[in-house]
Amino acid sequence: MASLSLSSVRKNYGALPVIKGVDLSIEHGEFVVFVGPSGCGKSTLLRMIAGLEEITSGKLLIGSKLCNDMEPRDRGIAMVFQSYALYPHLSVYDNVGFGLKLAKTPKDVRDRKIREAARVLKMEHLLDRKPGQLSGGQRQRVAIGRAIVRQPEVFLFDEPLSNLDAALRVDMRMEIAKLHKELGATMIYVTHDQVEAMTLADKIVVLDGGVVQQVGAPIELYQRPANLFVAGFIGSPKMNFTPVRVDAVNGNRVAVSGEDVINLTVEADPSNVSPGDTMTLGVRPHDLAPNQAGSIVARVGLVERLGNETIVSLELVSGTNWLVVLDGDRPLARGETLALGADPAKAILFDAAGKSVTRRS
Amino acid sequence: MVTAIASTANGRRSPYPGWFFLPAAIVYGVFFLMPTFASFYFSLTRWSLFEASFIGLENFIQFFREPFLVKGLVNTVLYAAVTSGMKVVIGLLLALMLTSQIMGRGLLRALVFFPVLVSTIGVGITFTVLMHPTKGAINEGLSLLGIAGPGWLTDPSLALFSVALVDVWKGVGLATVIYIAGIVAIPKDYYEAARIDGGTKFQNFLYITLPLSRPATATVITLSFIGGLRTFDLIWAMTKGGPGFASDTIASVIYKQYQSGFFGLSTAGNVVLFILIAVLVVPITAVLNRREGHQ
Repeated sequence: MASLSLSSVRKNYGALPVIKGVDLSIEHGEFVVFVGPSGCGKSTLLRMIAGLEEITSGKLLIGSKLCNDMEPRDRGIAMVFQSYALYPHLSVYDNVGFGLKLAKTPKDVRDRKIREAARVLKMEHLLDRKPGQLSGGQRQRVAIGRAIVRQPEVFLFDEPLSNLDAALRVDMRMEIAKLHKELGATMIYVTHDQVEAMTLADKIVVLDGGVVQQVGAPIELYQRPANLFVAGFIGSPKMNFTPVRVDAVNGNRVAVSGEDVINLTVEADPSNVSPGDTMTLGVRPHDLAPNQAGSIVARVGLVERLGNETIVSLELVSGTNWLVVLDGDRPLARGETLALGADPAKAILFDAAGKSVTRRS
Repeated sequence: MVTAIASTANGRRSPYPGWFFLPAAIVYGVFFLMPTFASFYFSLTRWSLFEASFIGLENFIQFFREPFLVKGLVNTVLYAAVTSGMKVVIGLLLALMLTSQIMGRGLLRALVFFPVLVSTIGVGITFTVLMHPTKGAINEGLSLLGIAGPGWLTDPSLALFSVALVDVWKGVGLATVIYIAGIVAIPKDYYEAARIDGGTKFQNFLYITLPLSRPATATVITLSFIGGLRTFDLIWAMTKGGPGFASDTIASVIYKQYQSGFFGLSTAGNVVLFILIAVLVVPITAVLNRREGHQ
């Protein structure tokens, strides 16, 4: 069983804490994505699991083994690096078999494993080439091949697609997802790209400032972000925010208004809201729709027409900028005034501490 | 025409106008090209510095008739091979030590490089004193351990290697610095990937550091081999080619001819040395610099 658990895991560089107590459990065969902005500690956390960074305190269990002080090779993991870390002087064949050679695996076993990995990754024709003769996508494949031959219990990926162009990234993303299904292994994947996180993950771990902000399934994070950070980080284009005041609470319906919002009703947990509270309203650009009786009035700024949809930047009364996603063929002109309504079931309220007060099952 | 110079051979245009190259071209022409071609000419003359009369290849015939030239040739190649070989091995080992996490790394790096900055003649004189067969500090130190030290510079079979040893002591700092630059340029990811694969320190050295510091090895071998082939100052300061002709190299033979007033003959010797260096070094560098499909 290759489950994995972290309890109160911390990492300090001298006096500087970078991972501030992470608790996390990952089931066997799960695809978990660590996502967050640069410097949030996601790569450090992955490297701690790999054994490339020491764990200052806390416990790391892989399966039932306590791995805090275990050498990387004994942890049953394999890692794919952002730079791929392919040895330029070795052929693809030797690169894939490098770990097996170090482990003094018999030559015939090594050969069989290398060819099997090459078959799975459809790179049999590349085995004699040097990394310098490969495209970015092919190098990526070789790096994954090197991980596969080790038959690890846990695969670790450190931003593996960030060096590829957009089109290739989409292809490789699908291949990694397919590979996960085929191998059934536990995979932990680090990225700063929330689209990658949303499409690949069974479970997303959002990190910021060395703290786990939320753990959950992609759709859960999208629909029920725990706080302002997750709400702003997950989803593209980003969620729109504006300050509001609670006017009335009626069951689980809360009426709010503010400089930018005239009398909008939002669903929220009434136990966390009282009239007069100052809150932040969050509405996703896809959840706004033109409505003459809508509670938000704004002036149209930049209009980006993508064909299937149009992304419009809006200037609200307070000067706050919002985005709205409309139909591809909707006629709009810069400077035009637009009234919009927000879906009450999808708008979210955050309290003064930035925590979501909206609970939906 | 100026723009024609500015275009490079592969058709890409240089960002600088052609006349930018003129000052360097003039300096290079006057101080490097002209003397080189002049020496080719003077090697074919009987030359007294003021007058030169053309005598064809007679200087070369005379030069190769020198009784100790063969010994000098062998010594030169031997000296170059020994010094460059030792600089590669010791330089790499020192660089490995000085790129690892040891205390006083900065100070040690400075100490290793220090001999490179000292005057060669000074080093030669100092080591001549240290290597004195009876009063030298080296043999006195050895005698304290009960070992009778050899005649470092007086034993004909040892003199050349003693000088080579001093050359290595003086030059290994440069080799070390080149290796340090090569080793620190190897991406850390390679070692981390090997660590996950379970590589030992020795396997890391064998499969990563050694092959990936190949450009540094090529530079060290090329520089020290050429340096070894044209070595003169240290040999002259320590043995003057002696005892007898035991530590003569081509350069010291040439110098002796020059001292005796055979300017045409010694210039011919220089042309021979030039050709020898080209013949030996060009194939070596071609092999060493063969590209390996780097990323």
